[in-house]
Amino acid sequence: MHTRIIGLGNSILTDDGVGIYAAREIRRCLTEIGRLDIDIVESEVAGFELMELMAGWKHVILVDSIQFEGLEPGTVVRIEPDDLHTSLRLRSVHDIDLPTALELGRRIGLEMPAKLTIFGIRAQDALTLGESLTEAAERGLNEAVDLVLKEIRDSRFEIQD
Amino acid sequence: MYKVDPPPAAKKLRELYNSAAFVHSHIAHFYALAAPDFVLGPDSDPAKRNILGIVEKVGIPIAGEVLKHRAIAQDIQIMVGGRSTHPVWTLPGGVSKGITEEQRKDIVEKAKSCVEFAKFSLKLFEDIVLANKAYLDIILSDTFEMNSYWIGTVDEKNRVNFYHGDHRVVDQNGKEVFRYKDHEYLDYISERVEKYTYLKFPFLKKIGWKGFVDGPESGVYMATPLSRLNAADGMATPLAQAEYEKMYKTLGGKPVKKLLATHWARLVELLYAAERLLELAQDPEITSTNIRTLPTATPEEGVGIVEAMRGILTHHYQTDKNGLVTKANLIVGTTNNNAPISMSIKRAAQKLIQPGKEIGQGLLNMVEMAFRLYDPCFSCATHSLPGEMPLIIEVINPDGEIVHREGR
Repeated sequence: MHTRIIGLGNSILTDDGVGIYAAREIRRCLTEIGRLDIDIVESEVAGFELMELMAGWKHVILVDSIQFEGLEPGTVVRIEPDDLHTSLRLRSVHDIDLPTALELGRRIGLEMPAKLTIFGIRAQDALTLGESLTEAAERGLNEAVDLVLKEIRDSRFEIQD
Repeated sequence: MYKVDPPPAAKKLRELYNSAAFVHSHIAHFYALAAPDFVLGPDSDPAKRNILGIVEKVGIPIAGEVLKHRAIAQDIQIMVGGRSTHPVWTLPGGVSKGITEEQRKDIVEKAKSCVEFAKFSLKLFEDIVLANKAYLDIILSDTFEMNSYWIGTVDEKNRVNFYHGDHRVVDQNGKEVFRYKDHEYLDYISERVEKYTYLKFPFLKKIGWKGFVDGPESGVYMATPLSRLNAADGMATPLAQAEYEKMYKTLGGKPVKKLLATHWARLVELLYAAERLLELAQDPEITSTNIRTLPTATPEEGVGIVEAMRGILTHHYQTDKNGLVTKANLIVGTTNNNAPISMSIKRAAQKLIQPGKEIGQGLLNMVEMAFRLYDPCFSCATHSLPGEMPLIIEVINPDGEIVHREGR
């Protein structure tokens, strides 16, 4: 199994759902160009469950909302797995965090991704109940989708016949 | 709220889902968030005092079993309720789908495996924790003690029930003082507001709020796995009942006020949840297709109370005639324990910080243990790599001056 894209978030908390909506838009774009080999998942999980979602895939791309200080809402950043201390979801208070989940998977012999790419979209509002994005998050979603599609095109993992 | 009683099969499916949730959550909490303190030691290197240290200590096969059974329980939840988190299958009057005979058989086999794993976990606790005098001394010390009231949901025989029953409060001697049904909760529970936090402090209304103190004159109560076992007269499944008796015999009778025993109580609950999962999966009615009674009454107001993994969970809604919520009050598991959490931290710090005693990582961790036992949310925030959580201890003299500050 090669590439899985996981859109993370809570779709009833306004911008916290941006990862979910991004995953849907990416699915639409990839379907249009016939790239049905990429697996796309929408999820609200973290920790152990996220570890299980990532296991078995060579390349995993995560898309999620972030709360980094000093960034304008809508800004998209590429995050390294070790640099997750300011992300609420990827360091969920209900579970183990992402670096722990990755390392745990490796230690117990799961095939964890050789390449993990994380795109974070700075949320403007991730606390209000709502099922749509702010304008800022909408802009960030569009940029993140472009970056993910470019990441897939540039990926060194080719389809094996 | 809709004045409708779900069919028996729907209630059993809901309880089956809840039992599976208890299994997955209690496994995750114990092994990832609580066990590092006991398996590796409260003074051990923070970088190793986490689930990765557990893997190193107990070995990959056991670690694999931990993750396997956690996943099994979530698989059951997905099979029954569609999702393991935020299920979308409960409806007023019942549930939207049942399970097939094939799924039922699958759940039976998974539940049997969970029972065996729960037994193994209790044996592990016995061999690694109870057999270690130093750990047992920590559990029995008054550093982690609370003399509060205890609350839990019980069945008609006063046995622990996670899904339905009366909500029973016992006092510091284990004597029942109150008992209420869902819709009566406001007669027994009140919530105090403090200006420095959005999180309220529930207390027993008929006793009253006397501040952050315990004892019979204070309305402070606890709602944890230990509370549930303290508030009950036993467990409704045989293996869990045997472990319940062993626990109380070891710890000197009921109620147990030594809060680190919450971890032991959690494992007893794990066994009960697994046994109950098996019982329900073996019940012929569980595959019934009669899973919903259509509501016909106009919705108005309703209270629903179940046991969540961290404590008793109360939901109270008022709606308009279309069922849209106009008012809501939720007292969630951890909220019940808001006052005891603060009191436990203070008590642990006061007991552990003594003149001339160095305040180091081990001591900081032991203060953390005082609140980690209450709730996985707090636990995981303190056990993520590399074992850090923001914790500051300030020692203040009678003049209000900070004479020592330690933190990470």
